[in-house]
Amino acid sequence: MNKKIGFTCAYTPVPLIEAAGFFPYRILPETKAPDQAGHLLHDNLCPHVKKVLDRALENDLPDLEGMVFINSCDTMRRLADAWQVARPDDKIILIDLPSGMNRLSLDFLSKEYERLSRTLFKWNDQTLEPEIISEKIKEKIFQWNLLADSIKKIEEKMTNDFFPGYASGLQQIINTAATESIDQALAMAKSKIEPENPCKSLTAPVFVFGNLLFDPKVYDLFEEWNVQVVGTDFCTSSRFVTRIQTGPDDNIFRSLAHSYLKQTPCARTMDTTIPGSIAQRIVERAKKSNAKGVIGFTLKFCDPYLARIPMIRQALQKESIPFLMLEGDCTEGSMGQQQTRIEAFTEMLEV
Amino acid sequence: MMYEHFDNTVKGIKDKLSQDPSGINARKKYVLELSRLGRKLYTKNETIAWCGVTAPFDLLSSMGVTSCFVEFVGAMLASTQTAGFFFEDAEDAGFATDSCAYHRAVMGAVLKNAMPEPDFIIGTSSPCTAGLAVMENFANQYKKDFFILNVPQNYSKDAIRFLSNQIEELTHFVSAHTKEPLSKEKLGMALENFNQSSKLLRDIYDLAKTKPSPVDNRLLRDFGVVMTLLMGTREGIDICQAFKDELNQRIKTSRHHASKEKTRLMWIQNRIQYPFPMDKMLDDLGAKIVIDELNTVTWEPMDPDNPFESIAKRMISIPFSMDTSKRIKNMQTLALDYQIDGAINPCHWGCRQGTGARGLVSKGMRDIDIPVLNLEIDCVDSRNLARGQIETRVEAFMEMLS
Repeated sequence: MNKKIGFTCAYTPVPLIEAAGFFPYRILPETKAPDQAGHLLHDNLCPHVKKVLDRALENDLPDLEGMVFINSCDTMRRLADAWQVARPDDKIILIDLPSGMNRLSLDFLSKEYERLSRTLFKWNDQTLEPEIISEKIKEKIFQWNLLADSIKKIEEKMTNDFFPGYASGLQQIINTAATESIDQALAMAKSKIEPENPCKSLTAPVFVFGNLLFDPKVYDLFEEWNVQVVGTDFCTSSRFVTRIQTGPDDNIFRSLAHSYLKQTPCARTMDTTIPGSIAQRIVERAKKSNAKGVIGFTLKFCDPYLARIPMIRQALQKESIPFLMLEGDCTEGSMGQQQTRIEAFTEMLEV
Repeated sequence: MMYEHFDNTVKGIKDKLSQDPSGINARKKYVLELSRLGRKLYTKNETIAWCGVTAPFDLLSSMGVTSCFVEFVGAMLASTQTAGFFFEDAEDAGFATDSCAYHRAVMGAVLKNAMPEPDFIIGTSSPCTAGLAVMENFANQYKKDFFILNVPQNYSKDAIRFLSNQIEELTHFVSAHTKEPLSKEKLGMALENFNQSSKLLRDIYDLAKTKPSPVDNRLLRDFGVVMTLLMGTREGIDICQAFKDELNQRIKTSRHHASKEKTRLMWIQNRIQYPFPMDKMLDDLGAKIVIDELNTVTWEPMDPDNPFESIAKRMISIPFSMDTSKRIKNMQTLALDYQIDGAINPCHWGCRQGTGARGLVSKGMRDIDIPVLNLEIDCVDSRNLARGQIETRVEAFMEMLS
């Protein structure tokens, strides 16, 4: 039987979960469970967290051996709090995630990841020598990096040409890594790395960013609306499959901390030496992917992203890159409601 | 404009105090010192730092830095009914109306050039993500150096060491700007002042527990949070002493303000900041707020020989830095100590940190048989205030409690 560990945040190192003998299960906010989370928390919270909690309250989850929470934002903290009330028998661990990227933050996060690893092995009743644990983690990191490399290749192809269905295929691979296993995702990536459909031409290459966009069908909808996604920056897209840089003599947890903190960051993580660097990053990535425009899609009530939208808007304006900002919940339906605005935006890009 | 506002307030209060030289007038002395701080913030040639709520203001004042958390300004703009003017600017720039209005008000003030330009910015990850985001916006807008204090959410040795090392690094960051090294002597004095103030705060809160309580619905409003701005100073001690004297005198003379005390209440998180007659309404209903959730001392005395670790432990001990179960435990202890009958939770629109735990807080208080009134209200932005609805709910709650 697959023993699964639940998690909710892209700063959770999946290789640590698999090294301890578990399978990862990212709880995506996709459910028909009734809205109940607001009773335990508040209705003015991001739909990601509310829907995940709805799943927990309705038991719309596979059997889980434990839950890993990351203290990435207030709402995630509240989710960890509520989980203890909703499912008091679950084993849970909350990992503190620094907001900055300096030396002290790296030291601390490496200790937090080490604590996570110890806890996961303990949950699986495994007492192993540190060297063996380290080897197991390295093996998983090796697989993970193969996956990250494959995903990067797919993304590069996406940037250069338009292959119908390719973007949604990529999302399926990433979702498989999040909810099944690294191996399955890797096998899928190998089979999908060559596009199934011939290259076509679309006239509205767009860079898309935000917090969560995990539903592959949304990428198909984009294509229907003449949007060619040439690059993405979501915590459910390639940002989730962070390549872990590690040398043979490196401390494995420090390598993990370094890779996750220095990866393309979520809006909640900041480089204090360049305040507002997220805006510059979006501009650079849009330019690099030859996008004609940028679409921002964030969940309602997401403070980390919503607070940075004005500076992103300003930076894009400065570079004369058209920008469309959308807010919604996590459903395909909410994206469907934006059809007219997206179509109008792409028409404007084509002029 | 703001300098004049604070300057006029300072002059006005000084006048009033001079007319009653033997009076205790704790609240007036408190407002006087806060206005002096406000005036300093708007004075040229001061070293100014805009900070997050849990920044170590005692440490900063010992290093010659005039510092304040930005939410204080948001509250002040609301109380002077000028916030609306700034909300529009912030919203026009793209700041979401769903966001915290403390932050929207100050961002509007930044965009309107109504905030003093800081020399540097110090963000804190506690109490909230939105607060840290607004600090990054400040740093980006003013193009000033930015330092973050990450406050971990647990009290482990690693967590304390992490924060303690950051605080030490903060002193180097500040020194690089002020060109003055940290004076251990001055820091020692600030911590000594802090300890004396903390001791007096404990006395004040103990006196407030008396039945009937000597406090009224206004006396200690938002006291615990705002006092941290002054606690490393001599003036902070004087203010705490004045409050202690005032409560003792009230008990001695049996002058229990708003003496009707049919119902003893706890106010959760912060008060409503714009003019709204909640205090009077409660007075009229015979209800008294005997404890504000944040009027509590959760830290051990500061150790001048180990200053950074002491400050780190203090910052982590604040209920908002911990997980909600610890916050609730703190509230339950307060509820029992103050023998309250009920609690009011103004669920500040846009607050994921405090209001986000609404249901858990209600449940936690219900576990000790304390009913909670959840008021859906924006404590800073009065534009959507449903006054009649709030009044009806408060009245119904009081009726239920009585």
